[in-house]
Amino acid sequence: MPSEPHAIEAHALTKRFGDFTAVDQLDLTVETGSVVALLGPNGAGKTTMVRMLATLQRPDGGSARVAGHDVLTEADRVRRVISVTGQFAALDKNLTSIENLTLMARLRGHSRAATRTLVDRLIERFDIGEFRDRLVKNLSGGQRRRVDLAAGLIDSPQLLVLDEPTTGLDPRSRRVVWSTVRELVAEGVTLLLTTQYLDEADALADRVVLIDRGREIAKGTPAELKTRVGEQRIDIVAGDSAALEQLEQLLGPSFQMSVAREQRTISIPAPGDVADLARVTAVLRDSAIAVDELALRRPTLDDAFLALTGHTASAEEIEADMAGVAA
Amino acid sequence: MSAHGASPQAVASTQSGPRRYLRDTGLLTVRSLRAIPRVPERLLDVTIQPIVFILLFLYVFGSAIHVTGISYKDYLFPGIIGQSLAFGIIGAGVATSNDMSEGVIDRFRSMPIGRLSIISGQVMGQFCEAALGMTIVVVFGLALGWNPHLTLAHGVELLALMLLGMFAFTWAGVLAGMLVRSPDAMQGIGFIVIFPLSFMAGTFVPIAGMDAVPRAIAEWDPIAALVASVRGLTQGVHTGGSWQLEHPEIAMALWCLLILAVSMPLAVRRFNRTLAG
Repeated sequence: MPSEPHAIEAHALTKRFGDFTAVDQLDLTVETGSVVALLGPNGAGKTTMVRMLATLQRPDGGSARVAGHDVLTEADRVRRVISVTGQFAALDKNLTSIENLTLMARLRGHSRAATRTLVDRLIERFDIGEFRDRLVKNLSGGQRRRVDLAAGLIDSPQLLVLDEPTTGLDPRSRRVVWSTVRELVAEGVTLLLTTQYLDEADALADRVVLIDRGREIAKGTPAELKTRVGEQRIDIVAGDSAALEQLEQLLGPSFQMSVAREQRTISIPAPGDVADLARVTAVLRDSAIAVDELALRRPTLDDAFLALTGHTASAEEIEADMAGVAA
Repeated sequence: MSAHGASPQAVASTQSGPRRYLRDTGLLTVRSLRAIPRVPERLLDVTIQPIVFILLFLYVFGSAIHVTGISYKDYLFPGIIGQSLAFGIIGAGVATSNDMSEGVIDRFRSMPIGRLSIISGQVMGQFCEAALGMTIVVVFGLALGWNPHLTLAHGVELLALMLLGMFAFTWAGVLAGMLVRSPDAMQGIGFIVIFPLSFMAGTFVPIAGMDAVPRAIAEWDPIAALVASVRGLTQGVHTGGSWQLEHPEIAMALWCLLILAVSMPLAVRRFNRTLAG
């Protein structure tokens, strides 16, 4: 065994639900002290992957080690070094914030006295004081996430796993979670997070693994990924299909572009920012073609998919995954 | 010390064995119990329903039912007690199913706690809920004038049987709660299976007067053994018709042991596997 094992080392990890393969031969390496994001749409297999690493689900194939411990044969040791919070590893909604934290600390083996100190410190650090005695079911999404994070950090885990930490949060609460996560990272916590948002992976992670249908499609630093996806683009939504054709003819000769016919949208890469936008508007200005919308956009997860796989994350897959999970 | 927790050395979580098991089970039992005042509707299955049946049968249908040799009130209450015990299966199942879909159980499972503690905590919590419900029903019955003729020996025997029954039914409910897809499904199964079995168990009318088919079922219905035991011990009434009705206490104990022998290992196995696949 190497002197310092990786925080996560997974090889060809596979999980099937009946005919549906949720995670398909996925490799994943997370170096100690780094932040890795598993990025993918709903149903890509992110949560299943995390559940296997957290010893909550048995892989059907492949192997995984967390801090050097095998998730199958040394599950108990894995549970000691990992801490999972997020959509599936949640809080007891019928307990208050402080009761939840106290319970988790006590279950981790702390004495009553030690628990009190520990919980007080967490309450202060995550700014929970205001709602410490409120039942979790009555908390807002952002407040709940704070308690959730606090509960995940009771024992300074070697590896913190955050499963979709900001899904369903309003933008302000999202920022709060982000800044908390950044603080933790600055302290040297090793972090694996799953997210559906490209900007979240960009904001928090050192490395991103993009997955779809349980398979890895791309990995690299956020910067590398963005280069491959295209930095920014200009979206032009035509007023009707006739206008779309006119726009294609008008812009085709001077711009590299992709057309999404159903959305009546033309996308033009815009690495040059406003300068590119100005070039497009200059062409459009005199044309009198009906345009519904014209905007400079940052790449979304869908763009990444389109660029890297040639298809978007479709609704069918999501349904298939839901059916698989329910089975 | 780092800002976000204790140093790993300060953690006692390496301790294991029976003491750790009891400690964790205790913590998780208290967790379940805390939900009672906060989700009081969980007690409905084991309190309001029996109380409604008491009132219905005592004051609405009761005048039409005549059982020789015993007042209908004294005949009814042992039946109600047996039925509420059986409803405990539904209560435990719904609560477990709810818990399993909530995600907090997954958090426990990802922590370094014995999995047996998690399931034991669940069972103990549900057991206490059932016991609380039963106490309320018994007190209500006594307040309405039910008159159990208990000797000390019979009282002890009754209490032991009831506790065993609650324990077995709770395990059965916890297992069922883990197998069903949703709390609603558990309610549905309860309504289709437990409801009829608890009605035809000599609960409200004597089995002897039933039609051949329901009578055959009732004679081997575990809840019938339970009802017959309570009736035998509190009112000295003995029923016949099948071996289990002639020896209801033994039959009841055997049923409970059988239920436990089946549901305990299955529930633990189900829990250790996975919940979502």
